[in-house]
Amino acid sequence: MEKQIAEIEGACQYFIDSTNNYFSHTTKVDSKTSVPYLKTTDNLALKEYTGMIGISGNHKGFVYISGNQDLFSELWKLVTDTEATSDDALDMAGEVSNVIAGNVREKLGKDFMISIPMVFKGKPDRFRIQNDDLPVYVIPIEWRGHEAFVVVGISEN
Amino acid sequence: MKLLIVDDSSAMRKTIERHLNGYDLDIVGTANNGKEALEMLKTKNPDAVTLDITMPEMDGITCLENMKKIKPEIKVMIITALSDKHTGLVAIDKGARGFLFKPVDPTDLAKAFDKLLERN
Repeated sequence: MEKQIAEIEGACQYFIDSTNNYFSHTTKVDSKTSVPYLKTTDNLALKEYTGMIGISGNHKGFVYISGNQDLFSELWKLVTDTEATSDDALDMAGEVSNVIAGNVREKLGKDFMISIPMVFKGKPDRFRIQNDDLPVYVIPIEWRGHEAFVVVGISEN
Repeated sequence: MKLLIVDDSSAMRKTIERHLNGYDLDIVGTANNGKEALEMLKTKNPDAVTLDITMPEMDGITCLENMKKIKPEIKVMIITALSDKHTGLVAIDKGARGFLFKPVDPTDLAKAFDKLLERN
């Protein structure tokens, strides 16, 4: 587990950079990330809307971004210039997770495989993070007054 | 010129539509996966396509290969979050004419389209 923690701490920085790049590039407003912390309890870092990507290949695990509806609605409005429905905001959560994970391939290479996004509202009944197998880091972020979490649970295969 | 937009995210489809508004393009349709895109290639006969890679049903690279078999002259621009060199090289090898990384900047999209449509 200690080796895994050292690995994920390195990879965490790629996800932080990717997240910050998404917000600054897309919205021209920087996001602020707080110090990541290792999730040690079963409490889930989940907000209203979540976009999640499964990771396979040279790593295994997941990354997700979770924020409230107003965060993703505001992002939708910025990129499309239209008002977001609830489904639009959920789609936006999926797309942000896709870009955050996909951009990390620049650092982790072509064998860092990502799934299509899975999106959900609230806390699904069967949602559980296997943190006995994977160290899970929570990266708190803030953008234009909206708080969100990027949560990374990966290890090398 | 007739354009088809293919991406599994409606946010991306709308973003691309928005930023290409004003170009001399007729957006003939949007598709949210590779299979749907191949159907629309037959029914809408686009001249150019923006194509995501990571999509359900059929991924963008497989879709690109099939599109090139059906209509070799089609101009395809890949727009993807997969930011590694290898993916770009594979796409170009399969016949893509342009390649753009997400998150997409409107200026970069315009430049890439000028190149795709051979305007400068």
